[in-house]
Amino acid sequence: MVDVAVLLSVGRHPVSGRARRAPTDARALELALSLPPGRRTALHAGSPDSPALRDYLGMGLAELTVLAMAEGRDPTDALLARLRALSPAPSILLTGNRAEGGEDSGMLPYSLAHALGWAIVPDVVALTLNDDGSAELVQALARGQRRALRVAMPFVVTIHPAAPAPRPSAFGPARRGRITVEAVDAPEDTALAACAVRPWRDRPKRLTVGAPGGGSGGALDRLRAATEAKAGQGRLLVGPTPDEAARAIYDCLQEQGMLPR
Amino acid sequence: MTARRRDPRAERAARVVPTGGPRLRLALTASDSAAPASGRPRRDPRARRADATVQTAPRLRLDWSGKALAAPATTSAAAVSPAVAGRGVRAVAEPVLRVIDAPACLVFAVLDRADGALSALDRQVMAAARLLADALDGAVVALAPDGPEDWGPEDWGALGADRVLPMPAAWAQEHAPEARAAAVGAAMARWSPVHVVFPESQDGGDVARRVAAVVGERLFAGVESLSAQCVARRAGGGSRELSCAPPRLLSIAADAVAPLGPLRHEARPLDPVAVACAPRLGAARRLPVDPDGVGLGEADFILSAGNGVTDWAAFADLGRALGATRAGSRVVCDAGHLPRDRQVGASGMVVSARSYLAFGIAGAPQHLQGIGGVGHVIAINTDLHAAMIKRADLAIIADAQAVMPALIRLMRERTHG
Ligand SMILES: Cc1cc2nc3c(=O)[nH]c(=O)nc-3n(C[C@H](O)[C@H](O)[C@H](O)COP(=O)(O)OP(=O)(O)OC[C@H]3O[C@@H](n4cnc5c(N)ncnc54)[C@H](O)[C@@H]3O)c2cc1C
Repeated sequence: MVDVAVLLSVGRHPVSGRARRAPTDARALELALSLPPGRRTALHAGSPDSPALRDYLGMGLAELTVLAMAEGRDPTDALLARLRALSPAPSILLTGNRAEGGEDSGMLPYSLAHALGWAIVPDVVALTLNDDGSAELVQALARGQRRALRVAMPFVVTIHPAAPAPRPSAFGPARRGRITVEAVDAPEDTALAACAVRPWRDRPKRLTVGAPGGGSGGALDRLRAATEAKAGQGRLLVGPTPDEAARAIYDCLQEQGMLPR
Repeated sequence: MTARRRDPRAERAARVVPTGGPRLRLALTASDSAAPASGRPRRDPRARRADATVQTAPRLRLDWSGKALAAPATTSAAAVSPAVAGRGVRAVAEPVLRVIDAPACLVFAVLDRADGALSALDRQVMAAARLLADALDGAVVALAPDGPEDWGPEDWGALGADRVLPMPAAWAQEHAPEARAAAVGAAMARWSPVHVVFPESQDGGDVARRVAAVVGERLFAGVESLSAQCVARRAGGGSRELSCAPPRLLSIAADAVAPLGPLRHEARPLDPVAVACAPRLGAARRLPVDPDGVGLGEADFILSAGNGVTDWAAFADLGRALGATRAGSRVVCDAGHLPRDRQVGASGMVVSARSYLAFGIAGAPQHLQGIGGVGHVIAINTDLHAAMIKRADLAIIADAQAVMPALIRLMRERTHG
């Protein structure tokens, strides 16, 4: 038996702007549903009317608790109080690694983990539980690499977009699932309110061409980089025996650190 | 940048030597103050000619290509005369050492230095910290794992660090986000910096958020544009831009800040802070991944085949032996030897691998476009005049069908014995 709490937020479709399941949160729920049986507590802080909440229920979740608060409020304290009030306390808290539609700083899981005094592991794609109350986690790294870690319960995990895709939402369970609304009093997020907000506009890509320090060189350098094929360092071996050639390639790759030593 | 306008009167006035006599005397040697302030080094044709002179007897020989100069055996004058700076298209003058003794404030730059190497993002973080510090007359403190032996204060200084706070060198190799965050927190408590700049990389962003949670402050994560007055980041699922004055904790997204040109700062070492941290994440290790399961755009090491490869069994074996992701040119994918998603080039994938090992690829422009961002190219081809040979860092003129088995044999020898 392992009790798991999942934090679910409402995402935003990047093209249409419509509310949807947040991709990493849906993956977190998928992971929670695939763990061995136990209590599943799903929490959402925000508006209880969002149609996307039913999509989470459609994944096979029986109940979702919404801490109702207006937009622009700081949900940290309300979520923390609610998590502390759960008894028995959950041993794993799952969230997505980045929200979609709010401040999107990825700070909430860290704040909660710090306040609860739990360990936190970001960007997880797989989770297996050991018998001794610890878990083996697999983290996704850049360039398709993976890192395995062991951590003792309780802990907070944020889920990476490379985690297994969430199951589709089914209509029946989405209708049957229960949404429990609790109105909470959340303080206004003053730091966020102090920021100027405007629609995002893509910036031109920075060209780093030319000067040796990596700074941008002159216009000629940029034109060359855009039009000419790059020339290599040009070490040339003409007609070596296959073994010589293989040795040269091997040494070169080793120099680059591409081969296991 | 527009060219600086010259003021001949002021230049002349600067050359006036006060004699007290009736005649005006001008200093003939161009003093430093008379040098144009544009930063462009002045070209000295005489020195250029002297440098290009390979021999004078029995016959004068000049080499304008600059190759003779690259050899260290040329004149010792190269080391002495600063005129050498005038050579070449865009020679950069050696920057002067800048010492900031009593900074008004400190700006921390917390660098990843994963595997002991400084990434492009780490350099951009230094540039961002420099920008914030210069606006406040502050000093930049670089916090990073202590480097390999040959990495000294000059190297930190060249990055723009006024102070260096070394962390244990072992953290560069192992996964220690909790210890790193504790060290940054302790250093913040001791020196109270006005800004702490993190890289928004995976591990750097993790450390940044841990620090923000511990010190209980807001992190302005993933800054996309930065100036001394205003920082901006993307929020709202990518639809909104949030901006404010630079806060205390901020992390810099990749390619948001231009890296700095050559610099020389002092890089004075600070005493390391003691950290007590009981890490809760343990037994971290890299898992072996199937290289062919990695997307081509993400792959770090690519083994690529062109029309010159006929022995596909050996090619597959070589991919396994090297642990490289397999890819091919369009001809190969058209022929069905590799799936379409393994095609490199203009109509396939643009790759950014660090190493690209190409067997039997001619190097058509459409293919070269796909490997523009590759770090190191090794090409094996029977044709000395193939474009790929020109692009390669190591080019081998040999038969791919002979080299592949030899390389497989060598890999097996090295791994098993
Ligand atoms: C619109 C358009 C888009 C395209 N997009 C792409 C693209 O995205 N990617 C792409 O790759 N191409 C693309 N192409 C095709 C491109 O122009 C070339 O035709 C193609 O890249 C050539 O592939 P290749 O070098 O493998 O073959 P070839 O041109 O046939 O070259 C084979 C090379 O192997 C060498 N060789 C032969 N035998 C051996 C041997 N035994 N050992 C070693 N070397 C040997 C030869 O010397 C030769 O250099 C595109 C073309 C068009 C028109």
